[in-house]
Amino acid sequence: MSGPNQVIRLMSSDSVEIPVERVVAERSILIKNMLEDIGDSALTDPIPIPNVNEAVLRKVLDWCTHHKGDPPASVDDDSDSRKKTTDIEEWDQKFMQVDQEMLFEIILAANYLDIKALLDVGCKTVANMIKGKSPEEIRRTFNIQNDFTPEEEDQIRRENEWAEE
Amino acid sequence: MPKHLREEDGEEYPSKRVTYPDRLSSLSDELLLRILSYLPTSSLTRCQRLSRRFYIMAGDSQVWKSAYYNRFVRPRAARIPGIRERDSSSDSLLFSSKASKWLEDEALVKQGQETNWKRQYKLRHNWSTGSCNVSELQVAQRTSTRHPFLVQLHEGVAVTVDNFCGLQAWNLRGKQTRIASTLLQDSPQCNAFPTALAIDAQGSSEKALAVIIGFTDGRYSVYELQVDARVFTLVYVDVEPASTSIEAIAYSHPLLVTLRRRDAHCVTNRLSIYSFSTSAGKRSFGDVPGPPKLIASLKSDILGPPISLSLRTSTHSILVSIAYAQPTILAGWSVGLQELRLTLEGVITNSRLASAMGLDFSSLSPAPQQSSSRSNRKLPPGSSTHAPTSLSMPTSLSYTHPYLLTSHPDNTLMFYLVTSTSENLSISRGTRLWGHTSSVSGVHVGGRGKAVSVSSYGEDLRVWELEGGVSSSNSGRRLAAGEKSVQVRPEKKAGIESSGPDFLSKTISIRGGGLTCALESWSGGATLTKGLVGFDDEKVVVLREREPGCRALAVYDFT
Repeated sequence: MSGPNQVIRLMSSDSVEIPVERVVAERSILIKNMLEDIGDSALTDPIPIPNVNEAVLRKVLDWCTHHKGDPPASVDDDSDSRKKTTDIEEWDQKFMQVDQEMLFEIILAANYLDIKALLDVGCKTVANMIKGKSPEEIRRTFNIQNDFTPEEEDQIRRENEWAEE
Repeated sequence: MPKHLREEDGEEYPSKRVTYPDRLSSLSDELLLRILSYLPTSSLTRCQRLSRRFYIMAGDSQVWKSAYYNRFVRPRAARIPGIRERDSSSDSLLFSSKASKWLEDEALVKQGQETNWKRQYKLRHNWSTGSCNVSELQVAQRTSTRHPFLVQLHEGVAVTVDNFCGLQAWNLRGKQTRIASTLLQDSPQCNAFPTALAIDAQGSSEKALAVIIGFTDGRYSVYELQVDARVFTLVYVDVEPASTSIEAIAYSHPLLVTLRRRDAHCVTNRLSIYSFSTSAGKRSFGDVPGPPKLIASLKSDILGPPISLSLRTSTHSILVSIAYAQPTILAGWSVGLQELRLTLEGVITNSRLASAMGLDFSSLSPAPQQSSSRSNRKLPPGSSTHAPTSLSMPTSLSYTHPYLLTSHPDNTLMFYLVTSTSENLSISRGTRLWGHTSSVSGVHVGGRGKAVSVSSYGEDLRVWELEGGVSSSNSGRRLAAGEKSVQVRPEKKAGIESSGPDFLSKTISIRGGGLTCALESWSGGATLTKGLVGFDDEKVVVLREREPGCRALAVYDFT
């Protein structure tokens, strides 16, 4: 039984097999290309996803399931052409209400699995955490080490004064 | 320390670990840039203060290129009908590294990696908000107050000429210095002084400019300025005086156009087109060219000044345009435009006239004639309604196709749009632009509709964005003050007291920051603006007179 509803199995980095509809898995361009390459043996062998652990993979597949009906990304839709707003649809916002650890794991997984729409949602979520914050607030949010001397930082502040609203 | 941090940010961090790593900084450059590309520029500049890595990442040229495109290019692209996409989403106008439509900003894109997009963004931002630094460069300590002091600007180089100091070139970028100077020793008659100045850089070698000076006795000289070698070389000097002064001059190698003033014997002005002999059509500065061949001479009733003479060359033809102000019966002053089309060999194929008046207005002066038999004069299809002409004579006029602007003593500007197609030459009815609060002494318009105007006293300098939105605003209501122009607000120099909009204190503050001739003369009264010289991508240059005979260039730097 081949076709979109065919069930394939993915193997997470921690060796957990996760069955998933082919149409859901194919939101990942990486998996889609793999399935095309290996053909019918996908029915028998699980596909290894060595960079993503079970928890993250399940989370990503949840997203893919919800978005399985979305139109596929157009071919010349390169990375620059997406909309510049950081608006995120409601379901995705809820989906992204996770701890920072998971948020960054999702971004990395979406990048690895080549799921552009999910990667965008993840990046927008992070961008929204940066927006409107002062440098000190951003540092606290992400635990970023300030490796500038106060003089250096002040110099950068002054050279960028024009951009403040 | 980490514990302390966690407490402050507790709600975002379920406390699974005692310390948590900086997940954001550990992302790859690619992913970090992707996140940053969603941020507004105000956030980007704040991110630059986070750490050294963020300083580089948030200053990344690609991120700023995208911001530049979305703020400055896309809104223009969307206004141009041919480019507007059929689908209402206009997604295709979003920035894309491959297929963006950059319009006139393509020159920046072609420079590729070398373009510092953050710097370009800042430059455009400063233009749009009118923020700049002002410095003053004294170009003549003592010059005749009766004779003109002429200035032309080309890509950061200002060329000045007068009969006292001679020909001088000034570098306006970085440290402002004099590049080169030469006295006008070639002048056989001491009483001839320069009346017109033009610069041509088209087709010239990398760092050389051709400088053309017209004199009162009708002669003209061609100099070459080698910017790097810091030297002027006399390339050609016209030997035979033509008795009447040159009112305007334009040069685009190998063609030279002069407009000579009428004299007592001749009722009309004379427009002459010369062609320098060229070997294989290429300019070679090394050879001194022979005398140019007069290829056309036309009588013209164009009154001047103010006039604007320009030469545009394309692959097939040469276009000479003369934009001029003309008085009309009942309706005050209006503008007209004559366009001559020549083949590359210099044969006039077409000559057309257009005027901003409707046909129901007649010009006070007889319709311009010309001696060319091939001329094919056409009157524009005038609009039947009364054009809103200005009553006062323009103080200056600037034409950069398709924009034509005049400035008036009644605090306004008039804006006309020129249509030039193979069938038709016409000028739109004028639109009055308000914004200045005193007499406007100069206006200069560049490509893509950016114009700068200056009032005769003080510092009222305005930047206008005239592209788009003009055809739909015949009422002029949409062009009310503040909507189309931004007043330039130079940053005050520290330590100098300034009391609000008071003009005198502004003048002083700028003098205080000036390079030369500091505060000794300020009590002598207001600085007189002698004229707007022009602007380029980074600067506006205004010629000022601090005291009689002392001229300075005020450089408004937007970088």
